[in-house]
Amino acid sequence: MIELRNVTLKYGDKEILKNVSLTVHDNTIKAILGPSGVGKSTILKLMLGLIKPNSGQVFVDGTDITPLRETELYPIRRKMGMVFQGNALFDSMTISQNLGFFLRENLKLPEKEVEERVSEQILFSGLEGYEDQLPENLSGGMRKRVAIGRALIFRPHMILFDEPTAGLDPVSSKRILGLISSLRQESNLGAVIVTHIIDDVFSTADHAAVLYQGEIIFDDKTENLHQADHPFIRSILSDKILEL
Amino acid sequence: MPLAFIRSLERDLTLKTKDFLLNLQEFFLFSMRAFFTMPKLRRYWRDFLDQATICGTESIPIVLVSAISIGSLMSIEVGNLLEEFGAKTMLGRSTSITVVRELGPLLMGLMLSARFGSRNGAELGAMQISEQIDALRAFGTDPIAKLVMPRLAAALVMFIPLVALSDFAGLQSAALLAINYHKLDPGIFWNAVYPRLAPKDFVVSFLKAPVFAIIITLVSSFNGFSAKGGTAGVGRSTIKGIVVSSGLVLVANFYVSKVVLENMK
Repeated sequence: MIELRNVTLKYGDKEILKNVSLTVHDNTIKAILGPSGVGKSTILKLMLGLIKPNSGQVFVDGTDITPLRETELYPIRRKMGMVFQGNALFDSMTISQNLGFFLRENLKLPEKEVEERVSEQILFSGLEGYEDQLPENLSGGMRKRVAIGRALIFRPHMILFDEPTAGLDPVSSKRILGLISSLRQESNLGAVIVTHIIDDVFSTADHAAVLYQGEIIFDDKTENLHQADHPFIRSILSDKILEL
Repeated sequence: MPLAFIRSLERDLTLKTKDFLLNLQEFFLFSMRAFFTMPKLRRYWRDFLDQATICGTESIPIVLVSAISIGSLMSIEVGNLLEEFGAKTMLGRSTSITVVRELGPLLMGLMLSARFGSRNGAELGAMQISEQIDALRAFGTDPIAKLVMPRLAAALVMFIPLVALSDFAGLQSAALLAINYHKLDPGIFWNAVYPRLAPKDFVVSFLKAPVFAIIITLVSSFNGFSAKGGTAGVGRSTIKGIVVSSGLVLVANFYVSKVVLENMK
């Protein structure tokens, strides 16, 4: 379980998050919805301890990670997988090496087991035949699948997606969303999805939180979004995509 | 109007000083972490070997070119000058001391600052803006141990033979020009070289290798890690890394020579 408790974050004089509280339970998919540049990705970085809040606390499985040092954070981060908006694949490594990198690096598994897990992931992500390609030779959708595979391969409890369908064509988007939905059914994973596309929220998430002007204005089951009376939520329900 | 200008100048100056001091603090912590992760070298031995090839083996041509040109140039110019005083036989002594103590290591340092430093800055800067460094942190890998420490260890190991190579090539090219251009007897040239070179000359020369290795690797890597603002930002951070490390190499070159020569007999 991940919990943000009264988190405030400033960049210079600008207050990005104002007293934000948010809980993500295990085995649920929670979407964080909001316009671009409002601080949604920042919430994911706070959950991983990549940045620290100015005030408030971030709990991961009951541990307050805000006072922890970088080296103390590594074991906590390994409980989560992160899919970056730009994928952040290692461009000098092949797809197989990208997938196996953290298994070799952090789990120190025997090489045979690493290869087995990489093969499984290649199959799950539909990347057969591309094992020895560099990321630059793959399409946007395929790169996203590699990034998801890399996050899943070491079997985290929770997976964090930063704009998983941004910049993808409709077919690739549908495939990625299908992949995310299948995760919970097959692996019983929890997930946080940051997005500005409201259709993605309805097609994948059990719970949704809406971030607007640095504050959470909605945090409930996804289907209850339709009953929300905040003018911003009403407007996004009619516009569907937030490019504000 | 002048008062407002002075106030704005004062504010700018305060902000810049604050920024500079914060940067200095971050650089210090970054450098400490790079050294403290040295025990993990065994784990990253492949990265170490890759970096040793890049900063060592692949740098040999540029080190040779710079050493040979400066050795030849020194021989011609100093030889011409000494000839005016009828002291051409001193050519071996003067060129050897200049090449071994100063120009061999200094030119190697500047060349590696441009070659190895720019590569570090650009590569790590590109990794930073494409969130690859964040990805390492997000999955529980220390990016300094993985990316900076092997570079530092490789530079510390490889810069020493490169200094030796630079000194050797510089001296050989100086000898070649002394013999063929100034028509100096090889025996006279070399007799003025080896008996005159004292241990402190080699201490000065070889002490500069690790000092330059630390400066070039840490400054360029730190600037790569600090890159922001897209591809233009990578360019800016790379340039900053080269300029700062080259400047520091020049300053360090002076102080290493000064300290060793003043304290060693």
